[in-house]
Amino acid sequence: MQTLPRCLALAAALLGCNGVVGDRPTSPGANTATARAGNEHPSAVLPTFAPAGPVLATLTTTQYRNAVSDLLGSGLPDVALEPDTNPYLFTAIGAARSTAAERTVRAWETAAHRLTEAAFAVPERRVALVGCTPTAPDAPCVRAYFERFLRRAWRRPATVEELDRFVALSRRLGARDAWTGVRYATAAALQSPSFLYRVELGAPLAGKPGRRRYTAYEMASRLAFTLWNSVPDDALLDAAARGALDRDDTLRTEARRLLRNPRARSAVRAFFVQYLGLGALDGLARDPTLYPEVTPALAASMREEVERLVEDVVFTHDGDFRAVFSSTSTFLDARLAGLYGLAIPPGAEGFTRIDLPLDSGRGSLLTTAAILAVTAHPNATSPTARGRYIRERLLCERVPDPPMNVPLNLEAGDSGVRPTLRDRLERHRRDPACAGCHSRTDPVGLGFEDFDAIGRRRTMESGRPVDARGDLDGVTFVGARALGEILARDPRVAACVVRQVYRFATARLETDAEAGVLADLEERFAARNYRFLELLVELVASEGFRTVADEGR
Amino acid sequence: MARTLSRRTLLRGVFGGSLVSLALPPLEAMLNSHGEAWADEPGPIRRYGVFFWGNGYAWNTRGRADRWTPTSTPLGWTPSEQLAPLGPDAAGRSMTDRVSVITGLEPKTDIPATPGGQGDGHMRGVAVALSGDRPRSEGFHHPDHIFALNRPTLDQVIARHPRFYGTTPRFRSLELSVSNNRFHDYGTWTAISYNDQESQNLPIRSVDALFDQLFAVRSDDTTDRALLLDAVADDARRLQGLLGARDRQRLDAHLEHVRTLQRELTDAQAACQMPSRPGRAGGFDGTAGNEALLDKVDAMARLLALALQCDMTRVFTMMFTGPGSQTVFRDVGATTGLHQLCHDENWELSRRATIYSMQCFRRLLDILAATPDVGGGSVLDHTVLLGTSEFSAGDVHEVGNFPVLLAGGGSGALRPGAHIHMPDGNLASVHLTIQQALGLGVDAFGFNGGQTRDAISQLLR
Repeated sequence: MQTLPRCLALAAALLGCNGVVGDRPTSPGANTATARAGNEHPSAVLPTFAPAGPVLATLTTTQYRNAVSDLLGSGLPDVALEPDTNPYLFTAIGAARSTAAERTVRAWETAAHRLTEAAFAVPERRVALVGCTPTAPDAPCVRAYFERFLRRAWRRPATVEELDRFVALSRRLGARDAWTGVRYATAAALQSPSFLYRVELGAPLAGKPGRRRYTAYEMASRLAFTLWNSVPDDALLDAAARGALDRDDTLRTEARRLLRNPRARSAVRAFFVQYLGLGALDGLARDPTLYPEVTPALAASMREEVERLVEDVVFTHDGDFRAVFSSTSTFLDARLAGLYGLAIPPGAEGFTRIDLPLDSGRGSLLTTAAILAVTAHPNATSPTARGRYIRERLLCERVPDPPMNVPLNLEAGDSGVRPTLRDRLERHRRDPACAGCHSRTDPVGLGFEDFDAIGRRRTMESGRPVDARGDLDGVTFVGARALGEILARDPRVAACVVRQVYRFATARLETDAEAGVLADLEERFAARNYRFLELLVELVASEGFRTVADEGR
Repeated sequence: MARTLSRRTLLRGVFGGSLVSLALPPLEAMLNSHGEAWADEPGPIRRYGVFFWGNGYAWNTRGRADRWTPTSTPLGWTPSEQLAPLGPDAAGRSMTDRVSVITGLEPKTDIPATPGGQGDGHMRGVAVALSGDRPRSEGFHHPDHIFALNRPTLDQVIARHPRFYGTTPRFRSLELSVSNNRFHDYGTWTAISYNDQESQNLPIRSVDALFDQLFAVRSDDTTDRALLLDAVADDARRLQGLLGARDRQRLDAHLEHVRTLQRELTDAQAACQMPSRPGRAGGFDGTAGNEALLDKVDAMARLLALALQCDMTRVFTMMFTGPGSQTVFRDVGATTGLHQLCHDENWELSRRATIYSMQCFRRLLDILAATPDVGGGSVLDHTVLLGTSEFSAGDVHEVGNFPVLLAGGGSGALRPGAHIHMPDGNLASVHLTIQQALGLGVDAFGFNGGQTRDAISQLLR
């Protein structure tokens, strides 16, 4: 069989594309942003809130690394961990759905020993960690250490019985040397499910059958993993102990405290890296005969530019998040400046803020090499992939895969003149089997044709001047920067980021019964002038984040 | 714990064009990894393995001649161009009598209408090839990065089948991955072996890690490390009662891994032939676009063969390249990943990459064939080895005429060396044949429209 009969392919295409936009969401990946067409007050049409069921997420690799560094101190050896999965874009969702693989458990075992060996190798360091030089593996100060250590590592106070067991373990394995016992028991604590899994079960909520509220310590854990990508500090656990996380105002105060800590910057960076798919830059595949300048170091710089741009808007300015789409400055190092054909001040080291000249065609997240590269093929640009990225990532719309048995390349034609990609994509518009979906992607992505597959500006393609005219739902533009300005004003973009950060924070997909929570967060986001940090504060204070369904155990 | 080394006897011979040393089999009195003598076990040892490569073969669609399907002969088959590496090598030795080629098969699993696109994509190909089922419908949103298998892959069905292992093996299965390239950054595309829907068996990705897992001399703290795991298991059991059914299962699996690890730390290490750590100037892994794939297959296959010979495990999967992989076949002159080359219709490089992949498969076969087995014959003689991919013609994501190679003798249960052409045949018949060759007493296989009761009888003795 070569290709499907035309009519079948056409049917698949029509089903695939026209059936999605504007419908009520029928599947987890569907769009709530477009579901509320007509601008009526959202809560009027939304189902009654009911909390989602519990999730049991393991720590992601980043959370594991951050946590052991917070617990044992920095400067520990880098340990090998199995890579995270990222269904629905987020590693936290993968950690909540996947079963730990044998190799993962193996890696945790090895890591616990390597890390504790390093942490206990230096006398000053181990004394500082444990708080004493133990005279015996079960000395009172050892017990006090485990009381402190387990509270932070497990994000809750250990029970007396648990403490007894850890002290006994230390005694048993420390017969010859007290430090060895303490070290082994610490390694055991790091392999306990109480450390490796985020056990968040909630407690019954009076008067609300079927609903449980996360306990104060569970909320401390949720706040820390969401806002820091790590375990809580003692201050947050103390706040939990005194009930400060049970009240809206003090919960917000505590969230704002966390957001002032540098850990929050790395957590927000992690969110955007996953949301924007920048993980694809690790091991970026580009044909070296076409793009010899691509190196792992350049790809790392690409990623760093976006992270700095986001961090600048979100933290340094604590400003309107949408500025990332219309920013007229960015952060470049010498590598990227070379790629962009821009100068950085002489003597500048590392990354420097650069104001982007108008004739550079740059400005906006969309003109960063990172975004331009992850939306291209190894050997060419892809207006389809770029358009799809805008639709799916930034507007939270859904574009299905092509129907089966359709040739996915575009013939070069036989006119003798090498056609531009725009010419070749004409087939997507002419062929009704393709047009259903491609009319939503290609006109958007063609507006990026002023940048090549590694994010270099270009004025010529296939020997002809570049034509970077694009069209997003009838709004025409020329060039990726102009599209950025359009997206900065598009309400779908803000709604989409709310949904994505909610998934990131809850480690699951939102349910239909949470549509009201999302709509409320959208409104609060807008009311706070789209300040991303305020969105995070409102998110962790929302009922969706603080309650869980009682599944009757 | 001190390592017991068996008497080492070396067999020298020319192998893969170079001089190599091969270990002779363990003596009959040798013990398996649990200290029980093999002689106590019923029936011959049978093993199952998978060699998987991504993106199918260089296509026969759109005006291209079929360069995959071999020519049938009265005694077997003559290789096609793309299967040529299985034919005579420089020394004139052929593998065609050890490998059967089955052509014409296609998956019969149904294709749900919504969400659209479920007939397409690498996921269905992998799912039908390795699990006999279609993937879960939720897996069909490209940017969601989901590899949503619906059930365990066949290797785990076999490894967990009550009739398969007589005693608990040292490793229930070994998963190996050769190329480090992945399809985008999709974290779920890193494994082709599944215990269940969300439970992957992540592969060992480096030669060093494989060597360490199989043969590294233990450190002296293993007893304490194992003992400490009791405390970990205690904590896990305490947690069990608080969880819902699905999460309880996840924690159960985690506990099982803890016990496996504990057993490994405390059990007597098997008396196996002890190879030296494989080395290669520049290492085996290279960088993206610069991978020494054949050398890595060679090194991994040698370690694997010794592990099989020593009965550390009887099930393995070797993911040569991943589903949809962007592996750059440097050795055939490619500079762009194979997934892209296929969609660009770069037929010449795709063809060369297919042939190269078959050379790597051949290397695995050579090594298994040259490794003597316990009860006589070679490791390959006692193995059923499936070579397959997720597509036939990768350029259009075609699954008709699915690539299926079935190698090994299955301890006499399998009749190798045939070309069976089964136009419109059910792909699941291969899975059924494999299970019957392994003596599992299974008389039907396949799911969601792909069920069959027809094994390929010509392949079974």
